[in-house]
Amino acid sequence: MTTTTRTRPGSAATLRGATARRLLVLAAGFALLLLSVAGSLMFGSNSTSLGDVVDVLTGDAGTYVTTVVESRYPRTVLGVLAGVCLAVAGTLMQGVTRNPLADPGLLGINAGASASVVAATAFLGATGRTDTMWWALPGALLAGLLVYALGSAGGSTGTSLVRLVLAGAVLTAVLTAFIQAVTLSKPQVFDSYRYWVVGSLAGRGFDVFFSVLPFALLGLVIAVLLAPGLNALALGDESATSLGSNPTVLRAGGLLAATLLSAAATAAVGPIAFVGLAVPHIVRACVGVDFRMQVAFSAVAGPGLLLLADVVGRVVLRPQELMVGVVTAFIGAPALLYAVRRMKGTA
Amino acid sequence: MSTTTETRRGAERPAGHLRIGTAVALPVRRRSVVVGVVGVVVLLAAAVATLSLGRLGIALPDLPRSLFGGAEGADRFVLKRLRGPRLGVAAGAGAAFGLSGALFQSVTRNPLGSPDVIGLTAGAGAGASAAALLLPDLLPVPVGALLGTVLAMALVYVSTGTGFRNPGRLVVAGIGVAAIATAFTQYVVYAVERDNATSLMTYINGSLATRTWGEAATIAAVLVVVGPLVALLARRLRLCEMGDELAAGLGAEPQRTKGAAVALSMALSAGSVAVAGPIAFISLTAPQIAKRLTRGSGPHLTLAAVLGAVLLVLADLTAQQLPLFDDLPVGIYTMAIGGAYLGYLLIREWRKGIL
Repeated sequence: MTTTTRTRPGSAATLRGATARRLLVLAAGFALLLLSVAGSLMFGSNSTSLGDVVDVLTGDAGTYVTTVVESRYPRTVLGVLAGVCLAVAGTLMQGVTRNPLADPGLLGINAGASASVVAATAFLGATGRTDTMWWALPGALLAGLLVYALGSAGGSTGTSLVRLVLAGAVLTAVLTAFIQAVTLSKPQVFDSYRYWVVGSLAGRGFDVFFSVLPFALLGLVIAVLLAPGLNALALGDESATSLGSNPTVLRAGGLLAATLLSAAATAAVGPIAFVGLAVPHIVRACVGVDFRMQVAFSAVAGPGLLLLADVVGRVVLRPQELMVGVVTAFIGAPALLYAVRRMKGTA
Repeated sequence: MSTTTETRRGAERPAGHLRIGTAVALPVRRRSVVVGVVGVVVLLAAAVATLSLGRLGIALPDLPRSLFGGAEGADRFVLKRLRGPRLGVAAGAGAAFGLSGALFQSVTRNPLGSPDVIGLTAGAGAGASAAALLLPDLLPVPVGALLGTVLAMALVYVSTGTGFRNPGRLVVAGIGVAAIATAFTQYVVYAVERDNATSLMTYINGSLATRTWGEAATIAAVLVVVGPLVALLARRLRLCEMGDELAAGLGAEPQRTKGAAVALSMALSAGSVAVAGPIAFISLTAPQIAKRLTRGSGPHLTLAAVLGAVLLVLADLTAQQLPLFDDLPVGIYTMAIGGAYLGYLLIREWRKGIL
């Protein structure tokens, strides 16, 4: 009796169970995303009802309501894009470095991107929207390399879990000081960047979205292509090699894609930390360690979470708003504390 | 004869004695005394420079007269309102930061276990801003800062799961707690101050602009109350650095001593944040520099306080006089320089295989 009901791992029953579970999680993820998109269109300094939003979408609403709701399109779209980028970047980095603490914000990559944008704006007079992306990219890349070099500076003992985070914290501290010094001493240049510096979806248009979109898409394509390889890499370098993957190529590709995605997100909405950390943790808890699943689910959960944070930021201080970067720190930093508690050994 | 004194001097180099009459003999190391004296001299020089440099500075020949009550006109205003209180707060808060760092680093036995690295300073900043902006009449700012510090420390302690033993976990948990605290500070400042970017930067980075004598008196009071308690604890703390078993055998009661040291460190941290804001990395760097300069073991409490004051007064002097930027919050300078120093420290620790 008991033997027949007990399902062995890998049996058809458990696989069906796992698939059902994944479908359920996916449905929940899409529900969250839909809910936060609706919330993003509804809430703001002028509140509109869900009915109004539906009316606007179907073209039945008055001019005033239409203007109000349509003014929220760009930030909603940007939020979705940035959420996808950050969450997938975090998943990739955690996979490539085998480090549950990896996050483009924590490892200083977002800070590098924004420092580079700020420097270009202040000293080279770069102001266009497309310029932002082109400056964010080298900054992100340089910061990533620097953190990786700093984190492995100890040599033989290898790169421990904590080292990269510490190196990222150091780089972020120094770059933040630089960013603040420059933005505070040239206020007129940075009037439009003031909220961007903390991470905000407000005040940016579709032009920003289209200028970062190609980079984000390129990063996502690489992420999807690499996901099966990351599964092999999770077993260790030697196993990955014997399974036919090249760990070096995987790592380089993963970091490149993560950098592209982080730079795109930062260029669009400023340096936002913790989304890339929290989302992969939540996703892993729900769907397990398969990277193909992780990438896919992160791409759904990330934008849901980021937009939700943005909506919260718009509601708590009405008619003011709290920047989304501040809200994500509130939500995401506890994820870091949770991850620290779960860390094994002395690392 | 001369040879015996030579060898004895050589042997005694680590601990000479400072005798006051026949009753008191304090063990002192010559190198520590030299470093301390040099530190005080540099501090005085930096203080004079703070008062006399720049467009509004008090001319050097007038300075002694001004200091002893004879200040007139513009000099009087500069001394009594502008730079005097600022200098007082810088020296006091710097000393408190340095001492606080030395205590905490001694307890965690790691340079990274420092209040500003593990998020306590940010917690104090959050508490201070909440007290100053949300409950301006109910809660004194120092009390708010202390509550914030205690809360931050509790959060760090719980999240590491291993207490203060593991430096890696401690620092990462500290990064998380600091992020929460900073986000809270941002929330409070935006809720109350609306769109004031400069005010936000001041609350987040710490600033010494527009300080009053009241704030200088606050930090002086904190130092006067906590300082003697630290002095009482110093001997036991030194024993604790030799390891818990040995310390317990020598009667130093390691657990109670460490608990007391953490409490005093938090009080000092909260006091300095209450008057100057969460200024980064003074408590990290001052004790480390003290250690390097004296090349000795032990917490170097006095030296850490002196060097903390030196560092903050020098940083503030830079903030006031550097022509590159226009009076930035001093915390930005300490964050840049202290961050670089933290990077250097990390690499050094990793070379040794720690962490």
